[in-house]
Amino acid sequence: MKILFFTGKGGVGKSTLAAAAAWQLSQRKRVLAVSLDPAHNLGDVFGVSLVDGRRNFSATLQLREVDLKKLSRDYLERETSVLSESYHYLRTLNLDRYFSILKYSPGIEEYALLNSIEKTLREEGAFDYIVFDTPPTGLTLRFLALPQVTITWIERLTAIRRQILDKRHTIQKIRGPLKEGEESPEIRLQYDERDDDILKRLRTLDGNYRDLTRTLQGADCGVVVVFNPDLLSLRESERLIEGLRELKLPLALLIANKVTEENRPTAERVTGALKRRAGAAVPATSVALNREFVLGGPAPLYGIAEDLTAHLDRGGTGHV
Amino acid sequence: MTRSKSNRKTSSLIRYCRRIFSDIGALQRENLVSLTCLEAQELENIFALLLLGSFVGLPSPPSFLAVELLPFMEREIQVLHRRAEDAGDMLAEIAGTLGID
Repeated sequence: MKILFFTGKGGVGKSTLAAAAAWQLSQRKRVLAVSLDPAHNLGDVFGVSLVDGRRNFSATLQLREVDLKKLSRDYLERETSVLSESYHYLRTLNLDRYFSILKYSPGIEEYALLNSIEKTLREEGAFDYIVFDTPPTGLTLRFLALPQVTITWIERLTAIRRQILDKRHTIQKIRGPLKEGEESPEIRLQYDERDDDILKRLRTLDGNYRDLTRTLQGADCGVVVVFNPDLLSLRESERLIEGLRELKLPLALLIANKVTEENRPTAERVTGALKRRAGAAVPATSVALNREFVLGGPAPLYGIAEDLTAHLDRGGTGHV
Repeated sequence: MTRSKSNRKTSSLIRYCRRIFSDIGALQRENLVSLTCLEAQELENIFALLLLGSFVGLPSPPSFLAVELLPFMEREIQVLHRRAEDAGDMLAEIAGTLGID
């Protein structure tokens, strides 16, 4: 299974090109197109409405739109139920009120997004390609960085937790076994790494994030950077490529979109600058601005003349 | 009759002595362990502070990590509360733990 993320500045045509690539790939392979952008328009590009966020567009192409707000809500509801089970005495308190504030906490939305990607990758093994249409650069880089940031925190917290268990083990050894009928709150605490719920949870999370990082950095994953022939788009794409390099995420393709006869020289200069930054191994292509789209012509939005599969269906991606 | 009475007295004396020695041993062990207990509690406090530090303005991990671990943090939160209550008289607490009068 290959994974493609279409990224770029807002309004450059990520969704259109993600849809076009998904459509072209689906002529030969089974493809799942997922929109992670809160301002969904995958359905608009294909000219269909998605029921419950999903629809089979053809036998080999499935469309999906991720509802971020619902994801965040579901995640917090799941955690609330675990909390109520753990803290019995808190059942009388109004936890919902506390969690209604938590959903505005920074990071929850990115986490919900990451969870959704992880779930999709885990459950949708039947597809040959999963094409993700991502939100604009800032949010995309934040959620792509999240597994690595989280792993660093988990490592630090695990080290402290181990120290705590070590101390508890020492205490238990010095005090010796409990006598009959004797109760000591210190001794009853878990000191074995296999019994400690916090360490177990940290280990599970660590495993999940390492797997996800491995998948995202692997040869089967690739990021497509879409840009327009203009200065703002160039600057943001440069920052995006730099961010991807720091995260060690492989770059699959650079696409200059909305190229016309008038702006072709600029497009070539912008593409050249980005290629220099990305490395010679990363292929680049250009997609012409089709004025029929703007005028609402008969051609569907995803039906572009350029063949993107030539670059995407080759099997290799270049690490930035 | 007299012998059995004396035997009983001796065995109760031995039991009594054994109890004294065992209690002295326990006391020694408790003295030894009290500092380690304090260290363990401090570490639990630091763990909770790191995880929930955003509430008091400390740099903290992504919120969802705190939410993920919150269900298992009952004891650590209790320690954190106790520490916050005792924070006004830390000197007395340290002196008490080290046995300084």
